[in-house]
Amino acid sequence: MNNTWLVYMAFAAVLVFTGIYALLSMRNLIKLFIGIEVISKGVSLALVATGFTRNHILVAQALAVTFIVIEVSVVATALAIIINTYRHTGSLDVRKLTKLKG
Amino acid sequence: MIIEIVLLCGLVIFSAAAIIFRDLLRAAICLAVASLLLGILFFRMKAPYIGAFEISVVAGLITVLFIVTIALTKTGGDVRESKTASWAFPAFFVVFLVLDILVMRGLIGKIPALGAAPEEGSFGDVLWKARTFDLVGQIGVIFAGVLAVLALFRKRGKDE
Repeated sequence: MNNTWLVYMAFAAVLVFTGIYALLSMRNLIKLFIGIEVISKGVSLALVATGFTRNHILVAQALAVTFIVIEVSVVATALAIIINTYRHTGSLDVRKLTKLKG
Repeated sequence: MIIEIVLLCGLVIFSAAAIIFRDLLRAAICLAVASLLLGILFFRMKAPYIGAFEISVVAGLITVLFIVTIALTKTGGDVRESKTASWAFPAFFVVFLVLDILVMRGLIGKIPALGAAPEEGSFGDVLWKARTFDLVGQIGVIFAGVLAVLALFRKRGKDE
């Protein structure tokens, strides 16, 4: 059972790494947000897999439901901010945000 | 376990494809497919509620939100990404994969298994009785999200 958990953790770590790479290297705001989504997939996989391998799947599901609700709120707010940024700067380039004033 | 590993590999491949693709629409659809595979994986882990949530909310609702955003910001999608970043991704990915496998192999047998008693009751019991505070927090988060979106899309007053 322990080895199964390590397999799931290895894949969750790869997902988190992929998301962090996107956050560090991409310039498009939507791409950056896709990176955050990939990280959140890794985290929810880690949560549910830990519950599954430790016989606590019900608590893990309850926590993962909370996580998904928060994720949806974050996505809605962040995409609204991205649309407003686009209207303000005319571009989705994250580097243009450094030139904002006031 | 073989089916799980195939699903996990598909999940990683589609997530990486969502990062690699330059076309935002393709990236969003790859993300939706990755969520679908994760949802199927949750069903295989005997977690049907969270599987249904993942498929309906993350693969459905969030993909729709992404596609609407991409449609609203259509002309701004041609941001030039750094070429070094896309070129270096496979190299970094392989290095991390090797490190990950080595670390996880090293951990085999070293993490003690906790003596956990099996859970009793249903998912509803656990969610309602043990995590009541979480549910209240979720309602607060949803309201905060709605208010944030309303504030960001409010109409401008006459004096602005």
